[in-house]
Amino acid sequence: MSPGRGGWRELLSRYGIVLALGALVLVLALLSPSFLTPSNWLNVLRQIAVNALLAFGMTVVILGAGIDLSVGSILAFTGAVAAGLSVAGWPPALAILVALVLGALIGLFNGVFVAYARIAPFIVTLAGLTIFRGATLVYTNGMPITGLPDTFNVIGNAVWLGIPLPVWITLAFLALTHFLLRYTALGRAIYAVGGNEEAARLSGISVTRIKLFQYAYSGLACALGALVLNGRLNSAQPTAGVGFELDAIAAVVVGGTSLFGGRGTVMGTFLGALIIGVLNNGMNLLNVSAFYQQIVKGGVILGALLIDRLFATRRD
Amino acid sequence: MALLEMRGIKKHFGGVEALKGVDFVLEAGEIQALVGENGAGKSTLMKVLSGVFQPDGGQMLLAGNPLRPRSVAEAQQAGIVMVYQELNLVSDLSVAENLFLGRLPPLMGYTRLNQEAQALLGQMGLEFPPEASVRQLSTGEQQLVAVARAFVQRAKVMVFDEPTATLSANEVEQLFRLIRRLRSEGVGVAYISHRLEEIFLLADRVTVLRDGERVSMAPLSELTPERVVNLMVGREVRAYQRQPHGSEGELGRFQVEAAGLAPLGLTLNKGEIVGLAGVIGSGRSEVLRAMFGLVGSASWRGTRLSGPLTALRQGIFYIPADRKTQGLVLELSARENVTLSVLSRLQWLGVMKAAQEQQLVKGWFRRLSVRPSDPERPARTFSGGNQQKLVLAKGLATTPQVLLMEEPSRGVDVVTRYELYALLDELARGGLSLLVSSSDTEELSGLCDRVLVFRGGRVVVQLEAPLDREEVVAHVTGARRVA
Ligand SMILES: Nc1ncnc2c1ncn2[C@@H]1O[C@H](COP(=O)(O)OP(=O)(O)OP(=O)(O)O)[C@@H](O)[C@H]1O
Ligand SMILES: [Mg+2]
Repeated sequence: MSPGRGGWRELLSRYGIVLALGALVLVLALLSPSFLTPSNWLNVLRQIAVNALLAFGMTVVILGAGIDLSVGSILAFTGAVAAGLSVAGWPPALAILVALVLGALIGLFNGVFVAYARIAPFIVTLAGLTIFRGATLVYTNGMPITGLPDTFNVIGNAVWLGIPLPVWITLAFLALTHFLLRYTALGRAIYAVGGNEEAARLSGISVTRIKLFQYAYSGLACALGALVLNGRLNSAQPTAGVGFELDAIAAVVVGGTSLFGGRGTVMGTFLGALIIGVLNNGMNLLNVSAFYQQIVKGGVILGALLIDRLFATRRD
Repeated sequence: MALLEMRGIKKHFGGVEALKGVDFVLEAGEIQALVGENGAGKSTLMKVLSGVFQPDGGQMLLAGNPLRPRSVAEAQQAGIVMVYQELNLVSDLSVAENLFLGRLPPLMGYTRLNQEAQALLGQMGLEFPPEASVRQLSTGEQQLVAVARAFVQRAKVMVFDEPTATLSANEVEQLFRLIRRLRSEGVGVAYISHRLEEIFLLADRVTVLRDGERVSMAPLSELTPERVVNLMVGREVRAYQRQPHGSEGELGRFQVEAAGLAPLGLTLNKGEIVGLAGVIGSGRSEVLRAMFGLVGSASWRGTRLSGPLTALRQGIFYIPADRKTQGLVLELSARENVTLSVLSRLQWLGVMKAAQEQQLVKGWFRRLSVRPSDPERPARTFSGGNQQKLVLAKGLATTPQVLLMEEPSRGVDVVTRYELYALLDELARGGLSLLVSSSDTEELSGLCDRVLVFRGGRVVVQLEAPLDREEVVAHVTGARRVA
């Protein structure tokens, strides 16, 4: 990279999100003494774990110029299946494995309609959103599944080296996704397909395979999120994950990934999830009413995109 | 007082100084050509003028008044209109609606609108119906509509950035007529092109840019094509002369079938360069697309080419005509673009071999002298000609046996074009077979061992080296029928 490239505009456009997070932390630290304590930080990280996991999968989909609205429903369904099988006496490890595979398969199902039938991802996954919510309600009879084996409690609440297991899972999945996008041929192909599908196809990249993979990966992320959520709640709720797609998309977008595909990073998404989490946490500490919290959150999303617009180096 | 004065214009992108204080003066009723090597700063200068970029320094005066457009819309308001290769028409509206776009009176009946459009088109000698939707027109016709709109907009300054690249010979003539008309009505025209021929047909004066600086501004009468090229590069350059070499026997046979195309069998020899000539729509580019498995059905050495992947495995690579929409992923770096077709070779268990990748890219950058030489820059920041080199590098990196190229030198400067021809010749000597589809008959006659001339979806004649350009032209236009 050549030196002297940049200037403050480019700097801001690249690190604006870090600065925004810093500013937010500063303000909250001044307003609330308990905000900067280590235990509160671990709390924030634990709270964002599920959204971050979904958002990492979502990043892979959006980078490839897609979208996945069905994440909340896939989460609910895989969570219910994992819980149901364990309660029915399956070994927990096997039930977990089944849930993970099932998540990937459901994602693949979305992917087939996007890649082969060439239906708009928005429509396919919108249908998926209701189909798998319905499947969850059928499977659970609309009742929570409780009495989960201890394994789930461990996933949700165990602490290792002072850090909760859900946070470890989040960081591990972050590292995996980062590695995938940055260092593998598959990651390169995802950026290419998202940036210019036609050029990617003419370069010999199998666009359909890439799309299948993206949605399967998102499905896998949902199953991971489901396991963490089951553990935290020590149950599987039929209404788990309602509206989660919006938070996941918000984290991706606040994190600087272009909704048109081809541009963005999963590290940005992590910061995006962190900003949303810090904001929620801070407002709770400050006793802001839940009604106002929604308004503030929406405002922050708009603000983040506005900053991106204002400071992005001009493209022709 | 000059119509337009640009003084000391500066523009940098990050560390790259694209314009280092350039002067550009345009008189009313003048056509001024703007020439220079790829990356010299021509497009950037005109984008500053038309409000796409804000300059970092310098001044602009339009008819004596300070000019500083902050957007394309503002520039248009001031009377500056730029015709891009990517057209700024609304493709779902009709020709008439596009002509009067932004100037439609609130209540104007379609009958009147179409009548006025018809009158305007008639005046300009354009023959398409005003009620046709722009989508139905060829790229060339769309370009003509965009120019015609300048008359309606009462443009004072018109900028053309390589307008003829996608036009047929006939359309080029129409375009030139329109441009001369603009001149006679007192419009100042800035005209960017790499085709010196056009410049000597059209321009009154020529400004030469080199590395972001103006090195010359002179009336056309004081210049020769050789002189212009020398000014562009700052040294002597000799025109490319190919020595055809005997080919080394048969490589394989293509069998091509596609809609609108007569079935075609083509035996390709190892190391030969075969040209495909013909007007746009004659079928020559369909043939190449079929050979890469994109349309119709084709086979190579008996293997069916069902898609780009199979074609690639057979050692066939296709370089499309439009690098921006088909050739490059503009947001990715140059490096990532160049290796896009060889990902499978540059990985180990799915992980990219970074060092090897860098080395490969560096090699092709050197071989094709891509500028700037930093492969980490996004492809979008390279100038038109250098983008073309990136696409070529991507193709060559696959070490193909057969290279299918559409308009290989579109947007490539004269010197680079000679380098490109020399490179293609070298590759052919090394055993690569090339199929080159081009609307540039000079390119075809100078480069190819034989040329297939297409008309109406079939090959009407095959011409063998030594090729005579006039003869190619005559066959392409249909002026000469084969006995
Ligand atoms: N948006 C951009 N970001 C960064 N660098 C740019 C951008 N646009 C142009 N450049 C750089 O500015 C220089 C001048 O580019 P420009 O497009 O003006 O060249 P040009 O004379 O039009 O060349 P060509 O004949 O190839 O079209 C080049 O070095 C190019 O890489
Ligand atoms: Mg240019």
